[in-house]
Amino acid sequence: MYDIKPLEEEWKQYKKNKKKPYLISFIVFILSFVSIYSFLNYKTIFFPKISNLNSSENTKLKIKKNSSILLDNELSVIQVKTQEMIENIKPIVKLKVEKRIENSVPTLPVVDDIPVLEDKPKRKVVRKKLNNIKVTRKKIEKPRKKMHLNIIESSSVGAYKDVEKRFYQSHDTDDSLFLAKSYYRKGNYKKSEYWSLQTNKVNTNIEESWIIFAKSKVKLGRKNEAMRILTNYLKHSNSRAVKNLLYQLKKNK
Amino acid sequence: MKSRYEAAKNVFVDSIDIDDYIELSSSVSAYKQLEHSMDKPLKMILLFGRPGTGKSILLNRLAEKLKHQKEIHYFDTPATNDKEFFHKLFKVLTKQDLPHNTEVNFSALVNFCKNLRGKREILILLDEAQMYNTGMMEKIRLISDSRAVKFVVSLHKTDDEDLIAKEHFQSRIWEVIELKNATQSDQTAYVHKKLLKKNLFEIANSIKEKDMKLIHAYTKGNFRECNKIMFTIFEICEYYDQNEPSKVNYEHIPQRIIEMAALKLGYIHV
Repeated sequence: MYDIKPLEEEWKQYKKNKKKPYLISFIVFILSFVSIYSFLNYKTIFFPKISNLNSSENTKLKIKKNSSILLDNELSVIQVKTQEMIENIKPIVKLKVEKRIENSVPTLPVVDDIPVLEDKPKRKVVRKKLNNIKVTRKKIEKPRKKMHLNIIESSSVGAYKDVEKRFYQSHDTDDSLFLAKSYYRKGNYKKSEYWSLQTNKVNTNIEESWIIFAKSKVKLGRKNEAMRILTNYLKHSNSRAVKNLLYQLKKNK
Repeated sequence: MKSRYEAAKNVFVDSIDIDDYIELSSSVSAYKQLEHSMDKPLKMILLFGRPGTGKSILLNRLAEKLKHQKEIHYFDTPATNDKEFFHKLFKVLTKQDLPHNTEVNFSALVNFCKNLRGKREILILLDEAQMYNTGMMEKIRLISDSRAVKFVVSLHKTDDEDLIAKEHFQSRIWEVIELKNATQSDQTAYVHKKLLKKNLFEIANSIKEKDMKLIHAYTKGNFRECNKIMFTIFEICEYYDQNEPSKVNYEHIPQRIIEMAALKLGYIHV
């Protein structure tokens, strides 16, 4: 056996060549896997902006949700602080503050659905209260900014339309009353008049709705009509709030 | 110092030595078939198969085994011309040498054979019959027609010759025995038995089933090719045993060595 060395070299070359197809098929497999993966996830890979946008939307939603939580937390902080402060302030103010805060808390689920509409006025109320009570502002400044961002970004028109649509399907007085109150706060008295009327059509015993209805009439320049409506309402009810309103209207006349 | 692989290598030197004949299930059945055919009133028997399937050694074994029972003659190398062939045949039939400067008269030979009918039964084994031309084959057939002389014709079966052989012989009612390449188990038995015959038990044990699978794939079950590759394998082993013992495993023939042998013999290429 004299040719063992060249034979060894030949064998090494043979082995190399034998491994080639396996190597090639492995590479092909990897490439095909990558291509299939990228094909299936092309949106994420080739349109990262879209996904980012989506993710930012998600974060917005999260922020919205968080904001409600923040609001909760904030309110609880305020409540604690106000309670501390209120002890030193007049009892009337204390009652008012507590009442307003209590009123704002149950409306939070509505804030989740249509955050813009519900959040804005509530914040104002809270701010007013804070001004009155002179609570230290620095601590609640940051979450307030977040709230503003949310309010600006969400489309109020769309939100109102959704609630309106829902009302026509369910005839839920909560929805119509919400719309009436919201429009009244926004200064759209024609719409607040319309939605309070819708509420009254479904349920004639909602005091708040009658008050908004009457107030809207007043704002639209139909004070007498408003007074007449309130008087008629008082025939069936003994509402103190309605009486007060009627008294004020008569007084201002 | 002699390598243990030297003896193993020499076991696989290709030869038609009757002592090296290995009885395998396939060869035993072919032998029995051939023996049975010879008892029939057939004039010619065709034994064919690819080169290296064991035709020659089978004829050899038949001649050796039946030489005391029958008048049997083995023509291992084919005659290159008519004259040489009939000289040989004359000697077998008449048991006399042809006188110098004389030629065999074919018709007289046929008549002589006819006269032998019923008196003698002569069996002639013609190896490598593909080398006989058509004319000579026709003369052989005429002699066999005398029914005193039977011919066992061994033919190579190649892709081209197979067709010729079939066309040529199918016109006559002859018995056809085909030898096929060995199966893997037959080839394994062949290699092991060959080594054990020479008391090389350890080496036989070092050739595993996996190795035989590879060898069978390379040689396609051909005994001659098997001899060649086994010889080369042991030749490489012998070299390593003497020069680089770390490269050889005494308990198991490395696949590398089998592949190197296959490369050397051209079964595989780089």
